[in-house]
Amino acid sequence: MFHKILIANRGEIAMRVIRTCREMGIATVAVYSDADKKAAHRFCADESVHIGSSEPARSYLNIERIIAAAQETGAMAIHPGYGFLSENADFAAACEAAGVIFIGPPSKVIRALGDKTVARRMMVDSGVPVTPGMHRAETDPVRLAEAAEQLGYPVLIKAAGGGGGKGMRIVASSDQLPEACRSAAREAAAAFGNADIYIEKYIARPRHVEIQVLADAHGNVIHLLERECSIQRRHQKIIEESPSTALTPILRDKMGQAAVAAARAAGYVNAGTVEFLLDENGGFYFLEVNTRLQVEHPVTEMITGIDIVRHQIEIAAGRKLNLSQSDIAGRGHAIECRIYAEDPENDFFPSPGKILFLQEPTGPGIRNDGGVYSGATVPLEYDPILSKLIVYAENRELAVKRMRDALSRYVILGIKTPILFLMDVMDSETFKQGDTHTDFIPRHFANWKPTPVNPHGACLAFAVHELTGKKRSEAFSTAKGQFPTPWETLGNWR
Amino acid sequence: MEYNLRISDADIRMEIDPHRENNSLTAVIGEQEYRVSYEAVSENRIYMVVDDGKEKIGMDAYVAQTADGKVIHINGGVCMVSDNDDSSRQQRKKNGAAGLPDRVTPPMPSLVISVLVKTGDTVEKGQGVVVVSAMKMETTLMAPYAGKVRSVNVAEGDKAAPGDILVDIERAETYKN
Repeated sequence: MFHKILIANRGEIAMRVIRTCREMGIATVAVYSDADKKAAHRFCADESVHIGSSEPARSYLNIERIIAAAQETGAMAIHPGYGFLSENADFAAACEAAGVIFIGPPSKVIRALGDKTVARRMMVDSGVPVTPGMHRAETDPVRLAEAAEQLGYPVLIKAAGGGGGKGMRIVASSDQLPEACRSAAREAAAAFGNADIYIEKYIARPRHVEIQVLADAHGNVIHLLERECSIQRRHQKIIEESPSTALTPILRDKMGQAAVAAARAAGYVNAGTVEFLLDENGGFYFLEVNTRLQVEHPVTEMITGIDIVRHQIEIAAGRKLNLSQSDIAGRGHAIECRIYAEDPENDFFPSPGKILFLQEPTGPGIRNDGGVYSGATVPLEYDPILSKLIVYAENRELAVKRMRDALSRYVILGIKTPILFLMDVMDSETFKQGDTHTDFIPRHFANWKPTPVNPHGACLAFAVHELTGKKRSEAFSTAKGQFPTPWETLGNWR
Repeated sequence: MEYNLRISDADIRMEIDPHRENNSLTAVIGEQEYRVSYEAVSENRIYMVVDDGKEKIGMDAYVAQTADGKVIHINGGVCMVSDNDDSSRQQRKKNGAAGLPDRVTPPMPSLVISVLVKTGDTVEKGQGVVVVSAMKMETTLMAPYAGKVRSVNVAEGDKAAPGDILVDIERAETYKN
């Protein structure tokens, strides 16, 4: 087993990985950029290495610098987390070349699956159903237009090089196609260093259901059931749960088997996720394989009782899976809400700034995967995820209530978050009924506004704070962050 | 003691009579009178028992001071409460109102990805004029009103800060014949 691991990431996921390492008795190395000198992940590792300036390209995406940091500190393996270099085949290859173990699949598997068009062909060949669309990336606008015409509008532009909604655009008609392609390619180039895009048929009102798989280097592949991730904004998930309300035991079994077949077809090793679109008739289509730990992995951990990060590390160290498919059973229900620095009243636009006060809820069945603290500044250079709130209960109805209550006790002051929005989702009949599709937010929560709070109570609290609090001028100097606060700026957005 | 407060879009006038010696106050908001006993649990946390004459309700409130007022989390809801009598804030609001909403400026430090118009173009209200990126997300800044582009002050790759006027647009009314 490794005696030391470097975590090439930041925020909540770096802290999540460090926790398991501590349990395993593995020393940890954090890396940080200029913007993250005071970031929480840096302080919970055994040691930390400064890897460059705030721009991702000069720090968290700097392959040479990160591998050098591992070598300087004597780390034998690197956990990439999600985002940044986690699905970068060049990074995995560079680790392999440098003799540092990359905790993830082999670089050639990442490369093959990372090109979504190659992955689609691979799945077609192994009998896994895929959505109709292009099998090759394209840059020629004429050919892209032809492909879109053939599939019929609306179509979906996707980045060949990555996921997470970056570089993705729904296009309703041909006149929108050229600008949408240009902007998608630009976003893809910025996010993944690869501007290739392709076009798929847009499936209306699908559900997004994914299967977690674990595969060792000895040919054993199992799946850890599904996650329902249909509720998304900006093509990014915000609420995930397991089990999915849409799966029957038979469908679950079929999708699980398809995911295992997909992993085998790709020669997959380590933890991965096979994403599917599920239509209203129970038809499912391969979307992509995420060759990394997913943001939403905790819901699977809660219902299966399995620490996925521990298995990632053991698999990377060459161990055989000590689990077989018959060991895997889901119990109860888990829901995750992602807490971002963003404004749900303004199209979920990022809201960086200083967290003046933070108090996370605790209690039975509540898990916080957090990466910030009271007084932390959320930098504008990175994905604005702050934390994930996960609840577990014996059934879905109780899990929804538990999440609703936990959210109401989640206090984050100073930056905008979607907490009130998430509470309203938990209160909605459509969510309670499990009627979750990818159009959930635009269909049920377009132009959402928070329910006004008890204004008299707030005024009384204001008065008490004035009477008991510090002098205003002092409070001002501590409250002023590095950036203009969202209260000063976002009100005028649009 | 009188407060003129603002929550969301509502102005609320509140009269309070503090009794610091026993951590209590009486308050009148509109027609309603409240007797409040409180405990400042920490710098950011207040516990109040509010008696409106009919019932006593316990309220757990978290408060943080910002430049624009106090952000208050109370029983699961969050709001901004500002003091209309705070002159420094008034002044800043006024400056903001004159400058920001009718100009093309990013809401936070951003990178200019592309400029969609050129000097002399006629634009419609709500038409995209500049695409900026912040926190790896692209957003299109729109024309705040119909008009004619007087000048384009940025180019692709430039950094822009809130308050910078990226595209100067002359209102349609002013050149209508």
